[in-house]
Amino acid sequence: MAVQSMVLADVPFPPSVEDFYLPSILPWGEHDNYWFTKITALVWLSAALIIIFFLVAYRKPQLVPSKRQWLAESLYGFVRNNIAIEMIGPAGVRFAPYLTTLFTFILLNNFWGIVPLIQISPNSHIAFPAFLAVISYVMFIWVGIRHHGFVKYFKNSLIPPAPWFILPLLIPIEFFSNFLVRPFSLAVRLFANMFAGHMLLLVFTLGGFAMLNANAWFLPFSIVSWAMTIALTFLEFLVICLQAYVFTVLTASYVQGALADEH
Amino acid sequence: MTGQEPPKNPHGDDGPNPPDTGMGMTAVAYLLSGMLVWGGIGWLVDHWVGTRGIFAGLGAVLGMAGGVYLIVRRLGA
Repeated sequence: MAVQSMVLADVPFPPSVEDFYLPSILPWGEHDNYWFTKITALVWLSAALIIIFFLVAYRKPQLVPSKRQWLAESLYGFVRNNIAIEMIGPAGVRFAPYLTTLFTFILLNNFWGIVPLIQISPNSHIAFPAFLAVISYVMFIWVGIRHHGFVKYFKNSLIPPAPWFILPLLIPIEFFSNFLVRPFSLAVRLFANMFAGHMLLLVFTLGGFAMLNANAWFLPFSIVSWAMTIALTFLEFLVICLQAYVFTVLTASYVQGALADEH
Repeated sequence: MTGQEPPKNPHGDDGPNPPDTGMGMTAVAYLLSGMLVWGGIGWLVDHWVGTRGIFAGLGAVLGMAGGVYLIVRRLGA
């Protein structure tokens, strides 16, 4: 009982941004050292899992696929048919590998957010979504320049079909929305969703302890709070899949915009 | 699913966009960009001239109009 009350007394509430900065793994347990933390480990683990999974699944492809091969093919087929070709058209097939990689990487990284005992997503640190957004950003501009040539690409994406006297009004808006808002919103959307999800779970889990800590008669409320945590975990699963999908679809849509001819 | 045929009649590079090509997102981006860009420029002008916000307000309205115009031209028709 003494141990239990000690544990209860230690619960920090409310949760803060500090809770996203976990102690270092190497060197063990050090604070303020972020070179190798749980987050880093999870990102490397995701990358390794995805590489190994697809290598193993496609090592000996069979006409009647094994379960693993079926799963890998379903993932790739889903992204190829329902995202790449659907959004970009026949030219989208050559982007399918990148989009599939992006989709599976984000999905798995998000998924760590609700795996019991792990329960934090690397994407709840803005650095990872931001870098993914930078990759997509550089890619769609590069693809556009390759397809149209430098001048024509920027002419296409900055100069809307409009009479000359409103162009000075419109060009800054086009520039801002096409080249500044896009990468920013890609990164922030994913980051904010994962951050908020983790925060929600923390609030309801720790809140249960905090209430119990304040007064033992609050136990029923604590139990409701923990039940909410479980319910929210299922909600998070939805958010996780949706955000992976949205990031991939928007990347595809930007590539489509870069490849499109005159509007 | 890889063995599946790709969807029939996928829209080509020249076809119209499918209904959910992130068009909503684009529209919102245009509206916000319009307000932010021209509102921001107006705000700078306010600082420069010494007025108390008239240019920021005008800029935001003007930018919004530009954003709506862009949505109509780029996404409509």
